[in-house]
Amino acid sequence: MWIVGMAATAVVALGLLLAGSPKVAANTQQAATEVKIDNFSFGPVALTVPAGTTVTWINRDDMPHTVVSMDDSKTFKSKVLDTDEKFSFTFSKAGTYPYFCSIHPKMTGKVIVQ
Amino acid sequence: MIEAFFETAAPRAANVVLVLEFAMGLGLLVGARLARKGSFRQHAWCQSSIVLLNLAVVAVMMIPSFRDHVLPRIPAKLGKAYYALATTHAAIGTVTELAGLYILLSAGTSVLPEKFRITKYKAWMRSVLVLWWVVLLLGMATYTRWYVPHLFRK
Repeated sequence: MWIVGMAATAVVALGLLLAGSPKVAANTQQAATEVKIDNFSFGPVALTVPAGTTVTWINRDDMPHTVVSMDDSKTFKSKVLDTDEKFSFTFSKAGTYPYFCSIHPKMTGKVIVQ
Repeated sequence: MIEAFFETAAPRAANVVLVLEFAMGLGLLVGARLARKGSFRQHAWCQSSIVLLNLAVVAVMMIPSFRDHVLPRIPAKLGKAYYALATTHAAIGTVTELAGLYILLSAGTSVLPEKFRITKYKAWMRSVLVLWWVVLLLGMATYTRWYVPHLFRK
């Protein structure tokens, strides 16, 4: 009888493990592709993502900010983002993409695409 | 060096404008003093230069910034200090600069027809000087709200 109990427990545990893993992985991936703007800074300051990833910046500050790439061709450039507004950009090519806030140029960050 | 002095989140251009505007505000007070001493020619040069210099600063620095950062969000966001201060500064500042130019044209040139020229110079000039300082203080408040993060950190 105890063997049946053990087996049932193992099946339930395995089921939870299999069901839970992708969910955790998905959450981790989602968190890693979001950059929070708060207290006049980008967080994380440097974000590493695989090519093809869409990165979303969300302004949690009570000040407007922008997200503008530093390269001459301005690969990505948001409009002015007010509180809780978002901007997304998909990085298709590998490389390092430094960016800044054009209103507050001392606010900088970078996305490293592998 | 100017960045080290300010230690704000402002771009260099905004710091330069702040210093320039403060200097112009003081310059107008010096100009007013010149009029009281009877040095009217120097007074005219001083005030005219400042009104014209300010016009250039407004056209080159302030209007583009206002157009990009504030205009798309008003009137919807006027409840926020960030937009309200900048908009009030811009509105009163426009009136003041236009009044300054009107005095300049009226007192310093013969461009305007006789009937449009000012007769009560002192009242006009004193009013514009007071307004100028109100606008300057509003500009400083706007700078503080936009660029001094440690005052507003959560």
